[in-house]
Amino acid sequence: MQIQYKPTRTLLQTILHVEILQGMALTLKRLFSKPITRQYPQEKPDVRLGFRGQHALVRDQASGGSKCVACMRCATVCPSRCIRIRYHEDEESGARVVDSYDIEALRCVYCGFCEEVCPVNALVMTEVFEYGAYDRQSIFFDQQRLLENWDRFTELKGGGMDNYVNPFWRPRGADEKTLTAAKRVKVPDDWTLEGQVVGKKFKTERSV
Amino acid sequence: MMQVLILFIQILVLFAIVMLHVAYATYFERKIIGHMQVRMGPMRVGYHGLLQPIADGIKSFFKEDIIPEQADKAAFRAAPIICLVAMMTSLAVLPFAKGWVLADINIGLLFIFAMSSLASYGVILAGWASNSKFTFLGGMRSMAQVISYEIAMGLSLVGVMMLSGTLNLTEIVEAQGTSFTGMYIFPQILAFFVFCIAMLAETNRVPFDLPEAETELVSGYCTEYSGMRYAIFFMAEYIGMMVMAAIGTICFLGGWNGPFVIPFFPPFWLILKIYVFMFFFIWIRATLPRYRYDQLMELGWKLLIPLALANIVLTGIIKAFTS
Repeated sequence: MQIQYKPTRTLLQTILHVEILQGMALTLKRLFSKPITRQYPQEKPDVRLGFRGQHALVRDQASGGSKCVACMRCATVCPSRCIRIRYHEDEESGARVVDSYDIEALRCVYCGFCEEVCPVNALVMTEVFEYGAYDRQSIFFDQQRLLENWDRFTELKGGGMDNYVNPFWRPRGADEKTLTAAKRVKVPDDWTLEGQVVGKKFKTERSV
Repeated sequence: MMQVLILFIQILVLFAIVMLHVAYATYFERKIIGHMQVRMGPMRVGYHGLLQPIADGIKSFFKEDIIPEQADKAAFRAAPIICLVAMMTSLAVLPFAKGWVLADINIGLLFIFAMSSLASYGVILAGWASNSKFTFLGGMRSMAQVISYEIAMGLSLVGVMMLSGTLNLTEIVEAQGTSFTGMYIFPQILAFFVFCIAMLAETNRVPFDLPEAETELVSGYCTEYSGMRYAIFFMAEYIGMMVMAAIGTICFLGGWNGPFVIPFFPPFWLILKIYVFMFFFIWIRATLPRYRYDQLMELGWKLLIPLALANIVLTGIIKAFTS
């Protein structure tokens, strides 16, 4: 294929500066189009389902604490190693009891592996994204803070979050059988391995 | 004595109005360019950013004024003032309406040329006095550019002078008559074309903003300037735009004459036409990329000057045969 870098122009087109006029027509047209600017603090962007924002530990309605069973999966999977859990085993029942649960959110890369891997949907990433602060301490989340984050998120969503389940907490494309009961939530069709619209599929479906 | 006082008051009023216009010309420009780029431009200060120019003025007024250690102090201080004074002086001869002119001199057009050339001294001095590579290059470019385009611009207006037979700006407007077809843009369309391009180059605007050229020269001749001195360069640039727009309006678009007379405010049509010109400046800026330096010189010497000369010859021939 031969690439034509310089479009051919007739003499009249050269004299009348047709290309410049075309460009000016385009800018004039854009002058009357609607700006795409979002006036941020007044106009918040609509957060999509599956957004990975501030971390939170879901508050268990029964116990009032977190649902965490100290399985250490999140701490293991975390690529930036920002999760630190300490636990001890209960003398009688042998169940693990969480002593401390810390997330150093400044080191977090927001990959969302922790919420995917959590078998009981205890650790989640909320839709809150405005939590900047002037010191490091305020962005270091201990268990207490993480539970408070969840409370704040429920308040933001307007309550009714007792049985809130986000289908995006489910690992993408994983087989139903390998998942724990809490993870077997209904996902939108385009979130499944077969239904997802990416790559070539995206191009063809867009063009149709 | 009384006359001097009245003149002084007139000067003050003109100064205040022009300064206000300069302030809002920046707002106008930012808004229009913003919307042309599908953005919004200033939105935060006041309703839709209406107080932005005032905030900018206050900010630059109270900013620290830095003079580089190695700079030529006297020239460094003088440069922006030369720019501003030269530009503001040319306002004196502009007729805003019949009789609305500070100094109705017979060499009005020539005076404006002289003053706009003088303003480029300010730019060159600024470039040299700052003692920095970028400013020096900016100053040099400005010098070469102004020399090249001053000629094209002067020659393009010779046709107008020949048709009207005068250099007095008021008389030029009157020579065009009040009718639409009397405007010199029709017999002098070639000259108008040359003038429009030369006007952009004279005021150092995109696509001929080589003296500033942010992408190559940081900020060109005003790289080392800060605070109020930088703002003065800016003011000079915008006043220059306005003066050039006024010249274009007076020489080609029939000055203050319009389809009907506006009572109590005769300069209405002139000001409207100046705004249209300003919009044109901004529109060009939003559209075109910067010329390369050799392209700029080529355009000036190989195209505009021959065109302007041809226009003079044509006008002369036609005038000789028709009268």
